[in-house]
Amino acid sequence: MFLQRTASALARRSPARAFTLAQRPFSSSVIRSNEKKWAPKQEGKILTFDEIKGEDDLFAPGAKPGTIPTDLDQATGLERLELIGKMQGIDIFDMRPLDASRKGTLQDPIIVNGAGDEQYAGCTGFPADSHQVTWLTVSRERPIERCLECGNVVKLNYIGPEEDPHAHDHDHGHHHPPHVEPKTFADYVKPDYWYR
Amino acid sequence: MIYKSKSNFQNHPFHLVSPSPWPLFTSLSLFILTTATVLFMHGFQGFQYLVALAVFNVIYVMALWFRDVISEGTYLGNHTNAVQKGLNLGVGLFIISEVFFFLAIFWAFFHSAISPSVELGAQWPPLGIQAVNPFELPLLNTILLLSSGVTITYAHHSLIQGNRKGALYGTVVTIILAVIFTFFQGVEYSVSSFTISDSVYGSCFYFGTGFHGLHVIIGTAFLAVGLWRLAAYHLTDHHHLGYESGILYWHFVDVVWLFLYISVYYWGY
Repeated sequence: MFLQRTASALARRSPARAFTLAQRPFSSSVIRSNEKKWAPKQEGKILTFDEIKGEDDLFAPGAKPGTIPTDLDQATGLERLELIGKMQGIDIFDMRPLDASRKGTLQDPIIVNGAGDEQYAGCTGFPADSHQVTWLTVSRERPIERCLECGNVVKLNYIGPEEDPHAHDHDHGHHHPPHVEPKTFADYVKPDYWYR
Repeated sequence: MIYKSKSNFQNHPFHLVSPSPWPLFTSLSLFILTTATVLFMHGFQGFQYLVALAVFNVIYVMALWFRDVISEGTYLGNHTNAVQKGLNLGVGLFIISEVFFFLAIFWAFFHSAISPSVELGAQWPPLGIQAVNPFELPLLNTILLLSSGVTITYAHHSLIQGNRKGALYGTVVTIILAVIFTFFQGVEYSVSSFTISDSVYGSCFYFGTGFHGLHVIIGTAFLAVGLWRLAAYHLTDHHHLGYESGILYWHFVDVVWLFLYISVYYWGY
């Protein structure tokens, strides 16, 4: 009951004006839908893993009418990249745990592949799970990191593009003072302990 | 390619979802639905309209949300193997939670049925309750549901084998059987001699069969969405997680009916 009263009160208060249904004439929507129909369609194709350079290469042709598509016919995006990689024996998401077959040393570090500026590596010691996971950050500027718990050395192997467009402006225009490595024991006593 | 173009793609298989309004809208719709339902059931005037509006709202927001998920999975390719595993696990856990929901309902039934109190006439069904004959409509409904299990399995295997017609017809027949089941349950409700307020028997009977019926309706909608996506070429022979989840849900509903039939209809007759 109070709903009705409120609704009628609102109706009375609203200013009288012409009821506009649409912003543009309906005749134009016919043109619009025709436009869409006649526009050239992007026909996908099945590319091999080596031919895939970007997201545009991951459009699939789709199934023939009346058939059930397969994943190769139709999968798209990251799902397709994973599928194409698997078909050629390549695991595009390297989800294996950190190599713990040995303890990394400065001379012979554990190699961590990374395509970005930074990569995290979770060390659990040698043999694996000897200690709680310690997250080590290796970067392009500082590729070697040492586990505080067990001394395991990991090193970033950069596998990203040669010219990284993001590499020019590290603090994204904020202009913080540049990061200075804190001085350590090695700076004063034994400089050869520094890996650089 | 791997080293040259790898940074063009994310280097992990997980789907980090983008901000979405649907969780908030779903919560609001459900809050309005529960509030309106409580007020309606306590006799507040006019709240049946708000209940109806809230039900519409919940379904509408769910549709928009699932539409987004379909876009992400089918059109954007975000559902990698790892994502599919996670979704599967989610469906499995959801169905386990449903199992325990029905376990509670059966518990309530057996609590009263195994040792009927003296107020019930120390018998089950209670004195004065004329239970439904399990060998009439309920038996037919059992046959309908078991048959729908057969047809949906046929449809699923057709899909895996790449037989589009078989998959489509199998799903259509399943949905028809499901609708007939729901219709007959409605018939049974309308001709039964007791109501939900007729002793603990009526409460338990309609609690169990009512929620089962609701699940049948949801499962039918689930399969109907699968049918649409099958017809619209969304589903491949390997990747059809939504459809498969609908099938799993349907089997769950089927099994619940068997337990209902055996314990509430047959044993309780």
